[in-house]
Amino acid sequence: MDAVVKRLIKEVKKAGDQDAFAELVDLYKDKVYQIAYRMTGNSYEAQDMAQEAFLRAYANLESYDENRKFSTWLFRITTNLCIDRLRKKKPDYSLDAEVKGTEGLTGYSQVAASEKLPEDQVVTLELQEWVQTEISFLPPKYRSAVVLRYIEDLSIGEISDILDLPENTVKTHIHRGREALRKRLGNA
Amino acid sequence: MACEKKYETLLHKYLDGEIDKEERMDLFLHMETCENCARHYKEMKKALMLVQSSSHIEAPVGFTEDVVNRLPEKKKRTSWKK
Repeated sequence: MDAVVKRLIKEVKKAGDQDAFAELVDLYKDKVYQIAYRMTGNSYEAQDMAQEAFLRAYANLESYDENRKFSTWLFRITTNLCIDRLRKKKPDYSLDAEVKGTEGLTGYSQVAASEKLPEDQVVTLELQEWVQTEISFLPPKYRSAVVLRYIEDLSIGEISDILDLPENTVKTHIHRGREALRKRLGNA
Repeated sequence: MACEKKYETLLHKYLDGEIDKEERMDLFLHMETCENCARHYKEMKKALMLVQSSSHIEAPVGFTEDVVNRLPEKKKRTSWKK
């Protein structure tokens, strides 16, 4: 593992060093937030879940095994929190997908605004909003596998560690998830 | 329909990077003549491209500060136990 990360974790474990923890948050915040955003489909909940993930990581750092990748452990906390949240609101999660997509617009607009021309930006935003809406239609277990594979670009082995599922199960979830996305996104 | 299942499996193997040379040849030769499978492949590529192209989100400004402000009170550096 990255020597910097190892050192920071040691400092947090030893003295509860909050400055060292802040550095860890800085290193991983974008990835954790991205997973939370793709899982929940809206920026408000994403921020809530991502912050909660770091707070839990801080509180439970003693149980983190330093022989394993820190990101795997952190992403596991994040996906578990998001899946729990999605299950709790299961009855309505597909009904409010459209609203979620609209909220996502704020998140995207901040990012896209800096580099794209206005007319390109509109197209990109609409497209990205649509893609996120379609991702939000996937059942949580397929969604987490697809997000980790195609948005975080992780290997099947790493995803299997994060989701605590056998590799073959991960593959099946990815297969089903991308078949569903093909039907929704592929022929437009 | 028999073709679809076999080639759908091959397509997933291909997308997982687990296809061997022979299977790959089989799949791509088949798609030259089978419109269904060729469309399936094209749609899949397009869907995945869309998903992958939307992967640029950053945590909001002030995220780290918000997390640190919510941490439990700082432990004392000098231990009182000793």
